[in-house]
Amino acid sequence: MKRQKPWLSVLFWTLISFVTLFPIYWLFVISVKPTVDLFSTPEVILKSFYWQNYVDVLTDSTLRRYMMNSLIISTGNAFLVTTLGFLACYALSRFDLPGKESIFFWTITNRMAPPAVFLLPLFLLLTQVYRIGDFSLADTRIGMILVYCTFNLPFAIWTLRPTIDGIPKELDEAAFIDGASPWKIITEVIFPLARPGLAVTLILTWVFAWNEYLLAATLTNFNARTLTTGLSEYVTTTGTAWGVMAAISVITLIPALIVFSMVQRHIVAGLTFGAVKG
Amino acid sequence: MSIGYRISASALALGLAASAAFAQTDDFWRQAGAQFEGVTLHGVTESTPPSNYIKDVLAPQFTELTGINVEIETTSWDQMYDKAIKDMEAGTGIYDMVYIEQDIIYSYLSRDFLVNISQALADKPELKAPNFDEANFTTFADYFRDEDGGLYGIPMEAFIKLYLYRTDLFADPEVQAAFKEQFGRDLAPAKTHEEYTQIAEFFTKLGQDRGEDLWGTTAQAHTGHPASWYEYVESVAPTFGVYNWGINAENNFAATVENGGSMNSPEAKEALRWWLHLRDIAPPESSASTWSETATTFAAGRVAQGLIYGENAAWIASDENQSRVVGNVGVALPPVAEGVMEAAESGEGYIGYYDGGAFGIPVSSQNQDAAVLFAQFIAQPEVQAQWAVAAPRITVSSTYDAPEVQELNTSLGGYFDLLRDQGKLFAGAPPFPFHAQLREAISPIFYQILTGDIEPDAGLDQMAAKTEEELTALGYRK
Amino acid sequence: MRSNKLGWMLLAPTLVILGLFGVVPFIYVLWVSFHQWNPFAANPEMIANGADNFRQLVFDTGFLSSLSVTLAFVFFAVTSELILGYALAQAFMKDFPGKAFFRTIHTLPLIMAPIIVGSIWKLMTTPSIGIIPDLLDSWFGYDLNIGQSAVAAFVTTVVMDIWHWTPLVTLSLIAALVALPADPFEQAQIDGASKRQIFWHITLPMIRPAIVATVFIRLMDALRVVDEVLMLTGGGPGSATRYIGVHIFREVFPRTNYGYGSAVSVVVLYITILVCWLLYVGLIAPRNNKA
Repeated sequence: MKRQKPWLSVLFWTLISFVTLFPIYWLFVISVKPTVDLFSTPEVILKSFYWQNYVDVLTDSTLRRYMMNSLIISTGNAFLVTTLGFLACYALSRFDLPGKESIFFWTITNRMAPPAVFLLPLFLLLTQVYRIGDFSLADTRIGMILVYCTFNLPFAIWTLRPTIDGIPKELDEAAFIDGASPWKIITEVIFPLARPGLAVTLILTWVFAWNEYLLAATLTNFNARTLTTGLSEYVTTTGTAWGVMAAISVITLIPALIVFSMVQRHIVAGLTFGAVKG
Repeated sequence: MSIGYRISASALALGLAASAAFAQTDDFWRQAGAQFEGVTLHGVTESTPPSNYIKDVLAPQFTELTGINVEIETTSWDQMYDKAIKDMEAGTGIYDMVYIEQDIIYSYLSRDFLVNISQALADKPELKAPNFDEANFTTFADYFRDEDGGLYGIPMEAFIKLYLYRTDLFADPEVQAAFKEQFGRDLAPAKTHEEYTQIAEFFTKLGQDRGEDLWGTTAQAHTGHPASWYEYVESVAPTFGVYNWGINAENNFAATVENGGSMNSPEAKEALRWWLHLRDIAPPESSASTWSETATTFAAGRVAQGLIYGENAAWIASDENQSRVVGNVGVALPPVAEGVMEAAESGEGYIGYYDGGAFGIPVSSQNQDAAVLFAQFIAQPEVQAQWAVAAPRITVSSTYDAPEVQELNTSLGGYFDLLRDQGKLFAGAPPFPFHAQLREAISPIFYQILTGDIEPDAGLDQMAAKTEEELTALGYRK
Repeated sequence: MRSNKLGWMLLAPTLVILGLFGVVPFIYVLWVSFHQWNPFAANPEMIANGADNFRQLVFDTGFLSSLSVTLAFVFFAVTSELILGYALAQAFMKDFPGKAFFRTIHTLPLIMAPIIVGSIWKLMTTPSIGIIPDLLDSWFGYDLNIGQSAVAAFVTTVVMDIWHWTPLVTLSLIAALVALPADPFEQAQIDGASKRQIFWHITLPMIRPAIVATVFIRLMDALRVVDEVLMLTGGGPGSATRYIGVHIFREVFPRTNYGYGSAVSVVVLYITILVCWLLYVGLIAPRNNKA
């Protein structure tokens, strides 16, 4: 098959990027306008910049705490579910466990539940049941990392299963015959080959945890509050502080972008393994 | 984090300076606080400017004097209720103080969620601050009392929903002349519904003729948010003589006319049709406007008049960062039907909505005594004036006379005068323990009226029938 | 050759966590769903009422209309995302300058919290002052009013969802595509297969598990959508965008209708499981069993 001209791809992606970026550009526009200018005839090109929203956000220490919580919870959760999901998928793929397909399907049902009603039992469990002495999981980062597993662990298992299944069994069987321990097979044979899948899973579970709102809003109070719950503080009966909300979102793009570009490199790594023409 | 952050930060400096003024009570706070060494109070509230003032200014002052730590969680409206209710329902004891909006107090009282503060102080007189007196409060505090007069919440904000108009437009000679020519009377804030409609139509047409973004009225007519339903039942229907949502609490919570209610009475239907007409000549964004967007619409200079919540009136009139109409805002009483003003003056009716909130102490709190101290701390007359300047609200009578409040009153077009002198004409939400439950049951029908899927008259009939059905299901209607 | 004990050990942490935080709450919700319970009713206690909640559901027009608009939303949003996402994933398989840069840009919407996505789209589409109604009006003379037109509001929520979640589909499918072995494709080209034949007979069957997994995720997430829509339309106009997640939210949060809300959730969960199970049995399971 003939290779397409690369400039066509560049043109195509420039157009797509324009569509993707426009709402984000608009977010930026909102963040550099005083509230009063949001409710008048819109202008696509900015004529002046109003930086007060950013000053407010950057000088706010509470916000930095929320950002830290968000980073710890989403990163901790993403690594936890990716690891556990990877191990679970290896088990489902390579072992002849009775009822494994049912277990596989059951895991995903944990993600299907509409969250609103599950808040009450989770609240009761975290505050009153799952506790050791004075330590309860409510309003703690570790508690949120565990709660987020309910929607992220099924996701990890479901996105990783095709990847692990796609790695030829002959490879680990060969390693087994060579006397490699199961741990060695997992880390040295399977892991490198599963890297693109793991990277994507890590990114997406991180994103889900980073953006989660309802559970965090209900299950955290003072110590483990995340950025999304902080954002909702700006939606009040006396008006929504669009500008400040937008400024926070623009600023929080930065850590998210760093995480993204670090992990995304590993997606490319897979290209050496196989190439596709569609 | 707060939208009022900047205001609060500058108020912090002022507040600290003012704290010297109540040095004589300082000893009381120090002594009373000593026994609660190491206690941390936790509160939950909505992140509005008055609450943020508590969080950023009053709480740190309290901690400095008493040694009691205070952590205030500010969150959104829905979340605040949900979290407080879950905590109190389960008896977890996370919160020592909760924000109570006037319209949910009856729900909380019916469940005995809250501490009777009057009783708590009578039982433990050593906790009573020398400058705390329930008589200090404005009459708004009465909404937080039980039948025996026991106080269950410390009022911390109070507003009325007002008729705002643009003084610059109303005083424009050209506009005045054109108006007089058309209607044969002077252009002045409307007293009756007919006058209001005329002014609204006049300015909407003026905007069209001039090709400007100007309309004659606001309409809080969101087609998927309870704000629209609130505007109708709290601010429009009462001015037509339909009170308490048209529900007759004395008569087995009847809502339909045939059972003795008035939700679908001719007056209610007239009120709805009047308001729907205004909606049609209001700016196009009205169909997506809640209370905050109507305020923004007014602040952007897009309308000549409108009904606006008092908590927004202040920033519209004074904050140049948020408003284009600073200095051009006039306040007046809403237009009413014949006989309604008389009924309001005699206390049998009301002409609009008096809203606000208080801080209450959950029975499930582990630190009730320390919380009682904090509740009194935020009720001190000495802290009120600075607080009113940072977040214009008044819950203590003496605040009106403070010089800085008087000054603010002038820049707000006399808003505080109106609140003090005419506040009695307004009323809070009716004493229904099923407030939110019923609202959620019938507001979907109301949204369908707004989208035109149901005729207004038929819609009100359906809402009244649905109300009785829902109240029967909840067990209030026998 | 290997003991299943090791397999179970690898699975154990997953099972324990999902059991504690997934199954236990579910049992609680199931139990509540057989009760009448509103803490602000005249009787605030939980009253066992058998299957009354479920019986009531069948005739609840609010629930049924919510369910049907939700299904329409899910259908349009997920189908578009799948087609777009696949096309974009394929486009990323080519080599071109700045690929990593473009891929990062493409994934940006994912980092936006739903409440922010809802806010941006609300400000962009506010009737008469948002940029989108403004442009549509000046370009096509079309008056977009999401507060008044049910269709406009519905389409806006679908477009918002596509904007927000297509990158997820793209990323998942990239991961599947890069993992494909090259041999079958080279063989097919040697045999002179057309692009279309290669797509239908080689690519599609090979990435089918990944597609189904992705569709599942999008399907169930779209069924649960709440925050963006609440922010954008509040469920209106009327009940045009009162999707099931929004409906349940309004039932259990402001209305504190815990008993009935739980019943609605159980039914929605059941429907979701059923749809996914049918898809699963039809598309994935046979292949796994073979393998």
